[in-house]
Amino acid sequence: MFLALKELRYGKLRFAMIGFIIVLVAWLVFILSGLGNGLSTLSAATIKNMDADYVVFEEGSSSSFSKSMLSESISSDLKDQANVEEMAPFGSAMGAILKEGSEEGEDKTDVAILGISPGTFLEPKLIEGKPLDEKNQLGVLANDTLKEEGYTIGDTLTLDGSTEKFQIIGFVENETYNHLPVLFTTLDHWRLYNFAAPGSNNGIEDVVNAFVLQGTDIDAAELDKNLDGIETVTKGQAVNGMPGYKEETGTIYMMLAFLIVISAFIISVFFYVLTIQKTNQFGVMKAIGASNGFIAKAIVSQVFILSLVSVLIGIALTYATAAVMPDGMPFDLDVTLVIIFGAALLVISVLSSLFSVRKITKIDPLTALGRVE
Amino acid sequence: MTGLLLKNVSKVYKEGNEEVKAMDNVSLSIEQGEFVAIIGPSGSGKSTLLSIAGALLHASTGEVIINGTDIASLSEKQLSNVRLKEIGFILQTSNLIPYLTVLDQLLVVKRMTGSVSVADKSFARELLTELGLGAKLNNYPSQLSGGERQRTAIARAFMNNSSIILADEPTASLDSNRAHEVVQLISKEVKARDKAAIMVTHDERMLGYCDRIYRMEDGLLKHVENHQASV
Repeated sequence: MFLALKELRYGKLRFAMIGFIIVLVAWLVFILSGLGNGLSTLSAATIKNMDADYVVFEEGSSSSFSKSMLSESISSDLKDQANVEEMAPFGSAMGAILKEGSEEGEDKTDVAILGISPGTFLEPKLIEGKPLDEKNQLGVLANDTLKEEGYTIGDTLTLDGSTEKFQIIGFVENETYNHLPVLFTTLDHWRLYNFAAPGSNNGIEDVVNAFVLQGTDIDAAELDKNLDGIETVTKGQAVNGMPGYKEETGTIYMMLAFLIVISAFIISVFFYVLTIQKTNQFGVMKAIGASNGFIAKAIVSQVFILSLVSVLIGIALTYATAAVMPDGMPFDLDVTLVIIFGAALLVISVLSSLFSVRKITKIDPLTALGRVE
Repeated sequence: MTGLLLKNVSKVYKEGNEEVKAMDNVSLSIEQGEFVAIIGPSGSGKSTLLSIAGALLHASTGEVIINGTDIASLSEKQLSNVRLKEIGFILQTSNLIPYLTVLDQLLVVKRMTGSVSVADKSFARELLTELGLGAKLNNYPSQLSGGERQRTAIARAFMNNSSIILADEPTASLDSNRAHEVVQLISKEVKARDKAAIMVTHDERMLGYCDRIYRMEDGLLKHVENHQASV
């Protein structure tokens, strides 16, 4: 620690430059993780929010809500299956809304229209207004981001390309689906909207997209065997089945992985070069009695201090960036993720310094003798 | 016994297929308070002798006894401990650590053994003041003259209060005034602190400060009875 700190203080410029690179890498890592987190939230927050364990799709729908159609009539059979504790039907559709009475040419808003049964565990917590009610088929719960677009409780909404109307009776938060803000409506009203065209429901009575199940001990294969034409997957698989979800998160995580590997190399090469420059110095120290451990400790603690300070600066810069980012950016910093990536960067930089430590153990203290520089 | 004892020490290097005898059956005994000089042309084996006496190299045959311990059987780690506790090296001018102040150059030696006490700090100050560096305690090596740097190196060698002092060409990069000053100081400290000291040097002007003089030639060590005669 002693040597490490003294040298850091003496060679401010040199170490500031190395530190700056670590700061930039850390900054980019944190921004990417925030972006990844934000995008995945936008893509599938509603599914992730569900307090569910399994999702039942139509067989052959490859875990995609939009490709799956099942009849609500099997719900009682599903409920009777072993280990199924709770069950709720679910339907999804896309649409564009417009405030009723607004003038021609005013901006429409894209939304996801999700049908649920009022009172089931799929109904999210309200932050404002009244819950869904079977008796008020017009009523919908809207995600609070729609407030920013000027929508308020009591607004009547007309749907683009449909004769159906909605009225906002409450607001919920953090509900996005397929990158769009969510409107929760009753299953019946969702069917009226989504299957307005004759035959679009494939002739299935009381159609839903999927059933969401609670019950940690459910045997998915058993379920698929007992009921015809279904495919049961975990909630995680259902999230991955969301359009674009895997691709988005995959891209971001690939970039993160590359960044972390690159930073490992940068740090290890920097310190390796510094170590080689100091070969003679370390030789002298060994000649006057320094053990390998003493010198190794100095280097490792130096890397640790430098990386720790740089990562902390990176975190501060990331939060500063988040503060000035426009509201619409899908940027969502998760404290746990920041801690995990910060710790990963630290561990990797310390590990990469071991490369230099190996070099030190090979330095012969004899280099200190008989050399005039 | 205390001090340094070399008994029939030989060192053989392999260079390709040839064997080079750098030290041939060298015996040398140095008591506490003695300052011994070793002179000789380059390639004579005097650096090898210093390396072996300084626990940097293992001898091929013979015994090297430092303060009563034969170091032949010691491991790398134990050797570094012997160097730290029993031996003070005075190396060449530039061999100070560039990012440490004069005072820290000495304290880092203490750090290697563990922690630095208040007593260590005052001992370091006392040593440096004795060597005329009292005003330079917080200077970096780059802010010192060649002579001041070498005096710092001398102070560092005495810091751990080791019983043996080994100096490797301590005057190599100094002008003759500085060189006299530096060797005089080494001699003074060796006497005052009762050390066994060896100085390897090219510089025959410095021999007047030494108690005994040896000449190394082709691996053989010869005692020089009267150095004035040999010059």
